[in-house]
Amino acid sequence: MVARLSRRRILSGSTAAMVASGVAPRLTRAAGDVTEIRALLITGSAVYPKYWETLTQQFKAKTGITVSYDMLAFTPLTSKEVTLGAARSSQYDVYSTHTAQIGSFFNYFEPLNQYFSASELADFHPVAMKYLTDPKTGKLAAIPRNVDARVQYYRKDVYDAHHLQPAKTWDELVTVSQALTGDGHYGLVVPGQGDPAQRTFSDLLWQAGGDWVDDKNLPSFNSAEGIQALTYYRDLIHKYKVVPSDAVTYQWTENTSEFASGAVYDTFNWPSTYAILANPDTSKVVGKWATAPYVRNKTAISCAVSHAMALNSLSKKKDAALEFIKHVVSPDSQMLAFQQFTYFPSRQAVAKSVISSAQGQQAEWLGHLQTTIDNGKEWPKLPGFSKVCTLMYGAIERALSNQMSPADSLNQAAKEAHQAMQQAGAYN
Amino acid sequence: MAVALPLHPRGRRPRSPLTTRQQGYLLAAPALLIMIAIFVYPLAYSFVMSFFQWDLSARSTTFLGLANYADTLTSPSFDQSLRNQIIFSVVSLTTEVVAGMSIALLLNSKLRGLRIARTLLLIPPMIAPAVVGLNFRWLFNTQYGLFDALLRTAGLPPIPWLSDPNWALASVIIADVWQNTPLLVLLFLAGLQSVPQEPLEAAAVDGASAWRTFWEIILPLLRPVIFVALMLRIIDTFRTFDVVWLMTQGGPGGATTLITVNAYLLAFQSVDFGHAAAVSYIALIISLLLMGALYGVPRLWRTSAA
Repeated sequence: MVARLSRRRILSGSTAAMVASGVAPRLTRAAGDVTEIRALLITGSAVYPKYWETLTQQFKAKTGITVSYDMLAFTPLTSKEVTLGAARSSQYDVYSTHTAQIGSFFNYFEPLNQYFSASELADFHPVAMKYLTDPKTGKLAAIPRNVDARVQYYRKDVYDAHHLQPAKTWDELVTVSQALTGDGHYGLVVPGQGDPAQRTFSDLLWQAGGDWVDDKNLPSFNSAEGIQALTYYRDLIHKYKVVPSDAVTYQWTENTSEFASGAVYDTFNWPSTYAILANPDTSKVVGKWATAPYVRNKTAISCAVSHAMALNSLSKKKDAALEFIKHVVSPDSQMLAFQQFTYFPSRQAVAKSVISSAQGQQAEWLGHLQTTIDNGKEWPKLPGFSKVCTLMYGAIERALSNQMSPADSLNQAAKEAHQAMQQAGAYN
Repeated sequence: MAVALPLHPRGRRPRSPLTTRQQGYLLAAPALLIMIAIFVYPLAYSFVMSFFQWDLSARSTTFLGLANYADTLTSPSFDQSLRNQIIFSVVSLTTEVVAGMSIALLLNSKLRGLRIARTLLLIPPMIAPAVVGLNFRWLFNTQYGLFDALLRTAGLPPIPWLSDPNWALASVIIADVWQNTPLLVLLFLAGLQSVPQEPLEAAAVDGASAWRTFWEIILPLLRPVIFVALMLRIIDTFRTFDVVWLMTQGGPGGATTLITVNAYLLAFQSVDFGHAAAVSYIALIISLLLMGALYGVPRLWRTSAA
């Protein structure tokens, strides 16, 4: 007995057991011939896990392929994808991605043009496809799952009580918001931090008649129109005082919760807000609000972006991964996403069907959303523009917090943006 | 029945061909290899990265020499983050040391209820910095936050804690001081309890005031503890990220961007790993210089005393 329990035997026995435990599942899997792919997917609301579970189960039933997935909220998801991309990782075969960051992944994601027929690609909304495509090579880096654009959500009960109509122009927005501000309430809320601040400035820049870059791709956001846009944005907070002074610390979550709590009477928000405001668990203003078109100035342009699905170019299971991507963007899955999240479909045929079957307030909202998407735009996907975005967060916040004038802030950012884009090869 | 067999025909262990030192290295090799894999390799990798244009959107990387370092040192955003870092570190450390010592002296006395206070002091350092950041974000909210509610109750105007650039940095420092002062209290308290009683009794017999006793006897005896505490906290302040990110994301307009936040923004938002690595190494050099200076000061004192 003593000899059997010697240290050497115990060590060699446990080593064998460890090796066996590592090898056995691989052998079993190989024997079972089960194909498995890995996906890194987005989450953010309570229903997302259920949505992905439904889709992956449907996919397994259809193809026999198991999708093993991890979920992360938007910001950590992007950070993780950036890290994995920099490490040229093949850990995940499929990624959830977004128009905003797509420029950073043009060389990491597999071009998808070749995997979809021309007629199929033509069904996806043009604005979504345009900004998921590398402008230099024309390659489609990801396929849109839904289109995101903003409309105006306003407190219909309060507006009716004050005999007010939702604003259509910048000037009206100030007048209406001033009439409603007071008594602990604000007429309007806008976000003022990070990417949401850049989105808001972007809308105002286009509406003022400006753009991010000129014909030669040189930064032009510090033009007279850009300065007008940032001045208007700052004045909503500090001059007209119709927006909470803390707005410079707000992102989309705060923007939505201020309206949902009843503290603010007007906001410009994304399609998912519709579901949040209609749900008594997440909104104190259920049944009290309505939607209207986004305000306009010289133009009616605002951001139209997409959540999308991408294929890792280093994946060793591209065929299976591609099947899953096709399943996620299929008409049925897009319909499910609309029903569960009120996400606007990226396929025009599905969008048309959703709009035609909608009624009442939802039909009105979808009409406004379709208009915003048709007028939609996105910032350019040029080399180095990811760095320009980071510079812009600081530049916009500096103006909104009165650290610098809008002109000085934009001029400094434009100088740095030009250097960043030059270093990244935007002018080669 | 087991029979014990001799290990060697002559009853001695076979002589190893390795020297004792070599055997030591051999035994330590697995741990050293793990250390190299998880610590030295990433460190070296990021150091190499700092000399390249390491852009995720580019298929190949370009060697730039010291260009990333030169860019960083002339960049307005790095200037701002370095300034913020100096203010943050100096104000936080000074406040924490002074408050920590005062509280430790109080807790070292024989007042009633101090045992509970000592236990409560363990709570802030045990809370995850991310939780502290989120809590303080809400406490400092102008509309719904506790601090402004108290100010309004007292008839005072609310303070734009997180939206005003000057107050924002102060708010971040307050959160950091709240979390880390108790750690220094515990360190100082341990030091105070190990101070020998004889010199204190001699000072009392000589009629020295409490202030003089503290200044002339207690403080010199606590010097090693203070240096250890300062060193730990300097390293910590140069690593601070979570609290700032969750409270302000470095804003408004970079007003609370510390060096770590700057590196994060460069790496994960600008997707520019070369510059991010350069920023991280500059921060490392600054903290090493500070450590060196801190090590040098007691040595200088000893030399001058001799």
